[in-house]
Amino acid sequence: MLRGTKTSLNNYLIKQLPKATAFINTKFELVHVSDQWISEFEFEKRPVIGQTIYELFDNVGGDLEEVLESCLLGKGGKIEARKFTDSRNNDRWFEWTNIPWYDDKENIIGIIIQTEEVTSQVLQRLKLQKLEILLKEKSEIAKIGSWEYDVVTDELLMCPMTCGILGVAPDFRPDLESTLQFYREGYSRNTISMAVFRSLEQGLPWSEKLQLTTADGRDIWVISAGKPLYKDGVLEGLIGTFQDVTEHVRSEIKIRESEQLLRTVVDNLPLNVYIKDLESRKILANRWECEYLGVNDVSELLGKTDFDYYGPEMALIFREEDLSVLNSLVPILGKESLNVKPDGTMTTFLTSKIPLTGTDGKAYGLLGISLDISNLKKQESELRDLISVTTLQNKKLVNFAHIVSHNLRSHSANFSMLLDFLKSETDENEKRRIMEMLTMASDNLLDTLENLNEVVSISTNAGQEKKSLRLNEKIDSVTQSMRAFLGNHGAKIINRVTDDTFVKAVPAYLESILINFITNAVKYRHPDRAPQITLSTWESDHYTVLSITDNGLGIDMEKHRDKLFGMYKTFHENPEARGLGLYITKNQVEAMEGKITTSSKVGKGTTFNIYFNEKA
Amino acid sequence: MKKLNAISVIDDDPITIFGIKKMLDAIGICDTIITYSNGKLAIDGIRERIAGNQAVPEVIFLDINMPIMDGWQFLEEFIAIPLEKTVHINIVTSSIDPVDRQNWEFYKSKTHHRIDFKNKPIRQKDIEEITNAA
Repeated sequence: MLRGTKTSLNNYLIKQLPKATAFINTKFELVHVSDQWISEFEFEKRPVIGQTIYELFDNVGGDLEEVLESCLLGKGGKIEARKFTDSRNNDRWFEWTNIPWYDDKENIIGIIIQTEEVTSQVLQRLKLQKLEILLKEKSEIAKIGSWEYDVVTDELLMCPMTCGILGVAPDFRPDLESTLQFYREGYSRNTISMAVFRSLEQGLPWSEKLQLTTADGRDIWVISAGKPLYKDGVLEGLIGTFQDVTEHVRSEIKIRESEQLLRTVVDNLPLNVYIKDLESRKILANRWECEYLGVNDVSELLGKTDFDYYGPEMALIFREEDLSVLNSLVPILGKESLNVKPDGTMTTFLTSKIPLTGTDGKAYGLLGISLDISNLKKQESELRDLISVTTLQNKKLVNFAHIVSHNLRSHSANFSMLLDFLKSETDENEKRRIMEMLTMASDNLLDTLENLNEVVSISTNAGQEKKSLRLNEKIDSVTQSMRAFLGNHGAKIINRVTDDTFVKAVPAYLESILINFITNAVKYRHPDRAPQITLSTWESDHYTVLSITDNGLGIDMEKHRDKLFGMYKTFHENPEARGLGLYITKNQVEAMEGKITTSSKVGKGTTFNIYFNEKA
Repeated sequence: MKKLNAISVIDDDPITIFGIKKMLDAIGICDTIITYSNGKLAIDGIRERIAGNQAVPEVIFLDINMPIMDGWQFLEEFIAIPLEKTVHINIVTSSIDPVDRQNWEFYKSKTHHRIDFKNKPIRQKDIEEITNAA
């Protein structure tokens, strides 16, 4: 009875214990239990007294039994947080404290179990663990290390990543000063020293890209960042990160070097290089293009189109070219084009326009490359001129050779024929006739040789010096010497040449030319009228042109144009015609690098224009 | 030997004319030898003969380089004259200019007349061949 009373008293006391407490006997059956315990483990709706602890918790784990057994032997202990899943399926953790339960005789009669919920601690610990793992992963992937500096102990605590970057053992604990020694002398060390100093003194954070040499001798680039750490307003130290950016910096340097190289190449190519966008706006131009368009800096050119630098017609042609390349994606390669700038400067380019396509296969612009071939074109045209002059000269030489051959052959043929006759001729009278003919042939041959000599002398004296001659002086002296001849035919000279007209000519040639044309004008006068010869001059390019117009017979230019200046060509039935005058005149004019043009109307008269070259 | 009705010699060189005439006379092939000193006189003279119903020369000796109208210009106009009879034209020249040979080929292909090309000097043998062929 007494015992029973004691029990119920005990029951009552234990029931009210503020902590979750349970008493179990040696058979692990619950004897007393606090309400708190009942409610913690949600046993309100089932009887617990008399139930074993194993019946109540089917998932408490194997080591509980061990702990409880040893408790019965007098050794109490804790069990680390045990998980309990409640009715709402929440995981909760409890710490079990088990101590032996003694009676008043110091006999162990059971175990007293106190449980305390530690769910929030456990969860926090798990979270922390997770964070630590995450941080470690992150730092390994990004190669970002961290460190802490304790201002009191002057000791630097570095994470394994930081140690790895620095090439030191994980337990390396340097002071601040020796850490700074890793940085490269000069800019890097100065910068980090200043940053740390300012952070300690003024509380400023820093982040700098610097160079250092690791403990194992590697030169690397790092980003060092840090800031001061305070506790209750008092400086405790510094914390920060430490990142190896060597690869970034190296590839950055490499890219910058490649860009620089490309830029140098593009700028120094003797080509105009540019890139245009879809609107034909320049988005890149090299030095040559800038120079060609007369801008000092490429920035003046960017965003501009050809309409800003060329006339509208030229610019429209370029825009149409651009559009055709951008739309068809077919490049224009090595197209010869003549660019005319508004100031009239003409440049011949060999132009290529190559479409630039993006990953979507569509054009986003075009690359233009133009090679200035103006000089080549000029040389080409000079060469062509030279070839045509040479061809002409050659033709003249061949022509002259044929003339010489023809003339000599015709005489020798006559000699040969006449001598043949002479051999077989018996008649004395006929013999005498043949002898006369032979004499005639011989005279003709001498004449011919003299004529040829005259022509050759012009060609060989081609270098005879030209002088600036007052034209009127020569005209006067020639007409003076021809006075009798002109007077006999009633010829009238109208001289419109002004006294200040000078021509560059070989004096003897100028005289010969004047005599020839004036003589011709009189020789081939119209039978119905007195000859009238008009002389005048005008300027044409670098030529002074002397115009000699007569009112004579005229020449059928359609028929005779090709032969007018040929040797031994005559066009009128005039016994005085030798067919040599115009041939020699032409040779003399050409020897002075001039030319002759002719216009004529049969029955009206002829005009010869003699071009005196004032440059050559 | 068949006699020819008329022969023409067209040359501005009196010695050549003298020679050809002398050689023709030597074989007595033709009584009518008409000479002209350039192409213009020749074409005018031949046209006159046609108009006057006189015999057109059956053989022509033609020089190339002549004043006023040269041998080629003469040929151009001569082959334009509608003649049924084939005339034997002998170009006699001292020219060795290939252009003249080309001209010869050109005119040969343009006419039914027979055109031959001979370099000076012309010999008795040549004259005989030419007149025989005519």
